[in-house]
Amino acid sequence: MSRRYDTIKHLGEGQFANVYLAQDLESGECVAIKKIKLGSREEAKDGINRTAIREIKLLKEIHHDNIIGLRDVIGHRTSIQLVFDFMDTDLEHVIKDKEIILMPAHIKNITMQMLLGLEFLHVHWILHRDLKPNNLLMNKMGRVKLTDFGLARFFGSPNRNYTHQVVTRWYRAPELLFGARSYGVGIDIWSVGCIIAELLLRNPIFPGESDIDQLVKIFNILGCPTPETWPNMTEMNSYVIIKPQTEYMALNYYFSAAPQDLLDLMAGMWTFDPIKRLTCTQSLQMEYFRTQPFCCLDEELPLPKKQQPQKRSRRLDDDGTRPVRRLNFD
Amino acid sequence: MALNFWKSSHCQQWIFDKTEIWKQRAEDMKIYNEEEYNRLNIFWANFITAVATEGAHSQANVGCKLRQQVIATAIIYFKRFYLRQSFRDMCPFLVASTALFLACKVEEHTTLSVSSFLKNTAIVLPKRWGVTFETTSTKNGVVYDSEFILVEILDCCLVVHHASRPMFELLEDLKQFTQQSTIANQPIKDLEAIEAQCQKVANDSLRCDVSLIFPPHVIGLSSIMVAMELMGRGEELEAWLVEVDTDFEKVTDCVEQIYKMYTLWKSFDEKEEVKKLMAKLPKPNQQPPPQQQHQHQQGYHL
Repeated sequence: MSRRYDTIKHLGEGQFANVYLAQDLESGECVAIKKIKLGSREEAKDGINRTAIREIKLLKEIHHDNIIGLRDVIGHRTSIQLVFDFMDTDLEHVIKDKEIILMPAHIKNITMQMLLGLEFLHVHWILHRDLKPNNLLMNKMGRVKLTDFGLARFFGSPNRNYTHQVVTRWYRAPELLFGARSYGVGIDIWSVGCIIAELLLRNPIFPGESDIDQLVKIFNILGCPTPETWPNMTEMNSYVIIKPQTEYMALNYYFSAAPQDLLDLMAGMWTFDPIKRLTCTQSLQMEYFRTQPFCCLDEELPLPKKQQPQKRSRRLDDDGTRPVRRLNFD
Repeated sequence: MALNFWKSSHCQQWIFDKTEIWKQRAEDMKIYNEEEYNRLNIFWANFITAVATEGAHSQANVGCKLRQQVIATAIIYFKRFYLRQSFRDMCPFLVASTALFLACKVEEHTTLSVSSFLKNTAIVLPKRWGVTFETTSTKNGVVYDSEFILVEILDCCLVVHHASRPMFELLEDLKQFTQQSTIANQPIKDLEAIEAQCQKVANDSLRCDVSLIFPPHVIGLSSIMVAMELMGRGEELEAWLVEVDTDFEKVTDCVEQIYKMYTLWKSFDEKEEVKKLMAKLPKPNQQPPPQQQHQHQQGYHL
């Protein structure tokens, strides 16, 4: 079965894996192969990286159109290779490509696909914990899929404390910044709000440079939470009083082109009190999805014209059409 | 872990027919007969539990007693592994330690290293079963490879659905039923004692093959029935069982297998017989199994 895939090129290197583009010789489709690294001698003591274990265990159990599919696992005596759906691009590339114009119908489609995938996770008691534009992949059919489950885990067990050092800072919810050890679906929804804002602005909305600066950036735009809007705020582990540096403006000051129903959705996702924050299901029922313009068709979503130059490309020849290197799967 | 069991890898890939299980163990059945294998089943589960709990006690600096859920997951990994492989392919003591190590990670528990579990093995085995075990052969490299091999043989199916979750839901239902029902004269008493006995039976059920044959809710219900019977309170369940809508053919079968295991366990003199069973344990192959051909194969020794 390992002879089934022909490696085409190296796509990139992650924290614990190398990713290769390969062709599935049985179906002719392109796939992405993630080869988990052995790690250094010191790391080897701990065996397979915990993040890799989380990814394997969750993706083996969940199957949804908006979640990256684990197609196959190739075992080898000293390594494990995960075969994923190949995705052409990710939202970070879409957002950064200034030639792309994101129409309201495009944004509505992307938002809906994101929420459908995330709703499925939350219904199955899984928190993603690391949503950001480059963890939202897109293929040329316009299908958006959640990926990178290295931080994902089950939630809902009582008496379990989780680390608050999750989620890339710019997309991190305020309760995490205040050091919350027990949290829920709200942290993922907060990130979705930030991603929608980034689709509109084409820049991150809260680009904090430190955890404190992150709170300042959030409060500058959303105003400060009060004991009325967020009752338990002052009891959090690392609660600090922060004064906003700017005067509070309504959201439509920052998003002049966005319709009110979208602003309502974002405001709901950015509710300070995590208990009152929208859930995925509530978000999908918001007015925004019932008003025109409706979602565009998936295939109408714009893709970056030219792919960014591949980092760490290991292609040996330039034509790139022939597989130049095969992984040794035996 | 509230994933849908019916769509899980556990349900779709790891539930077998009884005859299928023995067929898959054909290689080891050349050495052991069915009864001996059933005794081994009891021994392995006892052994894994001992390594996870007793060994850790004796090492003051470790102080990490594993939760029952981690132990249960490890035992099921072990059982699944030896459906696909034979004792000749990989040393069962190494597999047991690796299974505990992997189960800790999967259940998000702090873990010891595989070598620490192997050290526990060397302490526990002679103490409880009078069997000697040398760790010399299990060099770091081999220990590290073992996790990859285990994950591969398990086909990456790491989430295991245990009987206790549905069992406690059923117990809650039983409690409410006896409180409301007009048929039952009074609410059920000593629920805590019942819960403890049920949990014990569910843990013991890992000593036979029911976890490879039945879905967790069947094992959960069977555990309740066996537990109540053992407490001499079986008839208290009757009114409730009529209302439970499930496949009772399976439940009856499962209950019977748990009883069989208890009968065998009672007649199983571990101190005497484990030594004999271990003496028959095949030395691991010098030839690696076909899936894992590799240039440097190190021998595993007992």
